[in-house]
Amino acid sequence: MSLLEMRGISKSFNGVQVLKDVSLTVEKGEVHALLGENGAGKSTLMNILTGIYTRDSGTVLFDGQELKDTTVRDSEKAGIAFVHQELNLFNDLTVYENIFLGKEYVNRLGKVDKRRMIREAEELFAQLGVNVDPYVKVQELSTSQKQLLEISKALFFEAKLLILDEPTTALNNSEIEHLFGIIRSLKEKGTSFIFISHKMPEIFALSDSYTVFRNGEYIGSGRLSETNTDEIISMMVGRTYTSAEIYTPRKTGEPALKLEHYSGPGFHDISMEVPRGAVIGLTGLQGSGASALLQCMFGILEATGGSLTVNGTPVKKGDIHAAMKAGMALLPSNRKENSVIPDMSIWENLSLASQNLGTGSFHVNRKAEEAKYENYKEILNIRAASSQDLITSLSGGNQQKVFIARWLNTGAEILLFDNPTQGIDVGAKTEIYRLMEKLAGQGKTILFTSMEVPEIRKVADLCHVFYNGSIIGTLSNDQIDETSVMRYSTNSIGAQQPGRGGEL
Amino acid sequence: MKKKSGFTKFLGEYSYIFVFIIIFIGYMIANNGITWPAAMNILRHSAAVGIIGIGMGMICLTGDIDLSVGSMLAIVSGFSVVIFNITDSVLLTLLFSLAFGAVLGLLNGLLVGRLEIPAFIATLATMLIFRSLSQYFCQHIGKDLIGGGSSVYKMINANEQYKPFYNFGNGKLFTIPNVGLILIAVTIAFVYLSTSTRFGKKVYAVGSNAKAALMTGISVAHIKVMVFTIAGLLVGLASFIWVGMNASSDPATTGNSYEMYAISAVVLGGISMSGGRGRILGVLFGAMSYTVIDKIIVALKMDSLINNAIKGVILLVVIAIQIVTPKIRAKLR
Repeated sequence: MSLLEMRGISKSFNGVQVLKDVSLTVEKGEVHALLGENGAGKSTLMNILTGIYTRDSGTVLFDGQELKDTTVRDSEKAGIAFVHQELNLFNDLTVYENIFLGKEYVNRLGKVDKRRMIREAEELFAQLGVNVDPYVKVQELSTSQKQLLEISKALFFEAKLLILDEPTTALNNSEIEHLFGIIRSLKEKGTSFIFISHKMPEIFALSDSYTVFRNGEYIGSGRLSETNTDEIISMMVGRTYTSAEIYTPRKTGEPALKLEHYSGPGFHDISMEVPRGAVIGLTGLQGSGASALLQCMFGILEATGGSLTVNGTPVKKGDIHAAMKAGMALLPSNRKENSVIPDMSIWENLSLASQNLGTGSFHVNRKAEEAKYENYKEILNIRAASSQDLITSLSGGNQQKVFIARWLNTGAEILLFDNPTQGIDVGAKTEIYRLMEKLAGQGKTILFTSMEVPEIRKVADLCHVFYNGSIIGTLSNDQIDETSVMRYSTNSIGAQQPGRGGEL
Repeated sequence: MKKKSGFTKFLGEYSYIFVFIIIFIGYMIANNGITWPAAMNILRHSAAVGIIGIGMGMICLTGDIDLSVGSMLAIVSGFSVVIFNITDSVLLTLLFSLAFGAVLGLLNGLLVGRLEIPAFIATLATMLIFRSLSQYFCQHIGKDLIGGGSSVYKMINANEQYKPFYNFGNGKLFTIPNVGLILIAVTIAFVYLSTSTRFGKKVYAVGSNAKAALMTGISVAHIKVMVFTIAGLLVGLASFIWVGMNASSDPATTGNSYEMYAISAVVLGGISMSGGRGRILGVLFGAMSYTVIDKIIVALKMDSLINNAIKGVILLVVIAIQIVTPKIRAKLR
């Protein structure tokens, strides 16, 4: 009998169905890889299993018992532990306090039995080969130690099934090996794991079986030994893709931007030369370094090595002003957090960046600024009633257009767009990509990040795929397709694809 | 988007004027009417706290706070008296007041903007420091420097410029008190600065969303240093006015609770303590509202000890209305 059987699970949020009749079966003593793109429904299913969400329909059998109306406490009691991607540890408490939080041993007088807790924590760590001192505060631990602490914590309370949500994203190779060693030895002892990861090599290295979801639907499952990377990826992304719009090659000019062995927090040794008028797509999994690269180029983060030159002149590191003076502009990701000045009107939001550049008057000429806005409104097709309305009264797409105008208004020639279509509707997305093409046609140089391959193919001359902080593959427009991008993003370029990119 | 009707929009944005009018009507009832000199007296008594409040308003617009302004008033006015006693010059005293205030403000600004110490804590510390130094030096410098008094900084009235200085502080121009005119001039200047200049836009941007402001190239730290320095400069101006009005400064009581009055004036004036929202014009009305409350208590011959209780209640009522009204409006929609 299987340890876990989830059958016919469905779930809707506000009328949108995110899980449609999906199933998942995990055997005792196996590592089961749960696969799918972002938004495929993996997290939702795990949240249902652990009682964070309630399911609309379906049954869950765990260890021979049916789990109904599960709460988080119930699932913990049954022996299911969820090790989240963002770790749920209390930084100001010690290691042993974190393990026993809410379950402290107390003596008859109600005083916590510190000695017993520490002794048992030490025993557990010794058993697992985890090198952590129970006395230190969690904030002093490295990420991998925290990861191991989370797992130890789950095991201490005899979890039978551990859900590991991308546990390796913040770990280096030797730390990953150590973690995998521990997982394998626990597996031998009969503990089961659900392993969520986007990295193909480690999925194959660690897992016994797999289940693939796509768009909230069950696609397939089986033994990993009976399949290969290509098959898995095509299950994840779907077989066919038709582009509604066709990319037309564009003329590019002199080199406008040059990166040489450029390194910074989250990426290293990036070299590229971008000609004027080019549109370059940067992609990769979350945290792969593409977004960090743009932030570094604009001086938000400080580069640690290498050089960035614009039109042959080096740009000072870690200095937003220097980047702006060099003609660069960054449209940041997370619009609400990084772009929106919520208490200001549309025209004020637009004029802000240009006011920080060069020498202008002390006085702000409102009429002139509003006239500039009216001009951009025309060009970018911004739909708004009045320039004096608050920026927050606009839809996401229209806000984004205002922020693009904010930077065009500075006269920037090099536009860095970090996930420009994040959180905006399909129509506005198309408009923004059209706009990028138009700007490139006017001689602007554009670097943009995106996780959506079809969009990259619509506009980009070249696509650099990031993996673990470096460019692992470079695809020209005709080579861009979901399968290749996924293969590079997950670092699963097999021998079947020799010489395809990768030289950067 | 549906437009708000003109009146409710006006009511929402200029609520501080209504608060002032209601309190003012209360004053007229308590006083059986109002005379021009009495009205001008309100302006006169609002001058120091109003000017300090405007500086506080700029700080609050960036989302910070300055608890040290009352103590700063004590130390700057005290030392200004000393400078006057030494130089016998109104002009030099004015320059000293402004410069010393600006330096102390700069100190606050560097602590908050550059060292990133939370403003509440940094200015709590400087509040203690300024008050203590003001009292300490009053006891430990030559008696002749503090006008021969014991524990109060007094202007030497034998000085040639004593009369002109005192007359400036208590005089009038076309029946309007000089210090009231200064308050109005400062208000106009800061309404302009906050609404129509690059600097003003940056102040609002930092208070509204500091991270996004940074992303547009605004140096958030620089703006913070600037607003604290400006607030210090205004405390310097208020100190000069204080000395002109009183010809003395008592380091133990001068500016006591002024940080609280200034913050109240800012809040009554409709400026959000979380930054980014509100108008400097409101501070003028906020400050005058509080002065009128003082006058009402005097008119009703009540014990002045009840003063702060009434001010506190009015503050709560006004804020409750400001918070509750939008919620009711949203429910009615």
